[in-house]
Amino acid sequence: MRIAVTGTPGTGKTTVTELLEDRLADGESPIEDDALEVVHLNEVLEEEELYTAIDPDRESKIADLDALAERLANYEHAVIESHLAHHFEADRVVVLRCEPAQLEQRLLERGEREAKAGENAESEALDVVLAEAVEEHGLESVYEIDTTDRDPEAVASELEAVVAGDREPSAGEVDFVGYLE
Amino acid sequence: MSQDDEKWGVAHVHASFNNTIMTVTDLTGSETIAKSSGGTAVKQNRDEASPYAAMQMAESIAEEVKAAGITGLHVRVRGPGGNLQKSPGPGAQATIRALARSGIEIGRIEDVTPIPHDGSRAPKGKGGY
Ligand SMILES: Nc1ncnc2c1ncn2[C@@H]1O[C@H](COP(=O)(O)OP(=O)(O)O)[C@@H](O)[C@H]1O
Ligand SMILES: [Mg+2]
Repeated sequence: MRIAVTGTPGTGKTTVTELLEDRLADGESPIEDDALEVVHLNEVLEEEELYTAIDPDRESKIADLDALAERLANYEHAVIESHLAHHFEADRVVVLRCEPAQLEQRLLERGEREAKAGENAESEALDVVLAEAVEEHGLESVYEIDTTDRDPEAVASELEAVVAGDREPSAGEVDFVGYLE
Repeated sequence: MSQDDEKWGVAHVHASFNNTIMTVTDLTGSETIAKSSGGTAVKQNRDEASPYAAMQMAESIAEEVKAAGITGLHVRVRGPGGNLQKSPGPGAQATIRALARSGIEIGRIEDVTPIPHDGSRAPKGKGGY
């Protein structure tokens, strides 16, 4: 089983998958699956330099999706965490969501610059990642989780439910365009 | 109509998975001339991002815009568009056609969809619209 955990930067992918890793390691997860690996794809991209160029406006590395896909080929039983995770093969695609003003706040608190926080908040308001995930994987494989006003522990438990097969697919249950008005 | 009678504005179309909102401003973007959202055009939530809603919105916006003396619009589209639609999705395309049909001249059409990014981003055409 391969599970992609995607979502606009700031929705909490790294936080929540680290929690999952801790729970799995401590035997505290209802999943009870020692073999399930968590891949933080941003780290792999950085360490192995799997990018083709740098976007100077965004100070952001342009991912080499083919190289990343190849690098992921051996991970058959894994949770793959990245805002790019939906661009790769997966059995289930989890899309974390967050109300854009709250997302912007999270990113500013994480120390990101205003332009970056703003463009990501606008992306979230327009459902950019969700639309891509649905386009690439179909409604039947996408699991949207709203993290707005929810602590990481609760989000991790919902992620566990998806992994365990205890949740139905869902998409488009939040509407954040109000942020743009 | 002589060139002197031309007055241009900008139609900002935000097309999300769930909804479409449209705002017409002057060329500087500072003055809002007309505004509409999918929610005002259709009754059902699930139809807010549909091409039908976009067309309805564009028709009513066109009337307001013409009343304000605008003869032409540049169009800036942001967003992936509704369910399974390519950017600029049918919602945006329906908007542009409806504006043109109502006698408004259409100028530049730009796609300015934002790109989600942290230390990395997707290449253009793959996600990164
Ligand atoms: N559920 C949550 N509620 C509030 N803040 C959160 C939540 N999840 C993460 N955060 C905070 O938001 C910021 C972004 O989280 P992070 O896990 O780095 O997101 P991502 O990996 O999706 O970019 C971090 O500072 C983190 O502490
Ligand atoms: Mg992260």
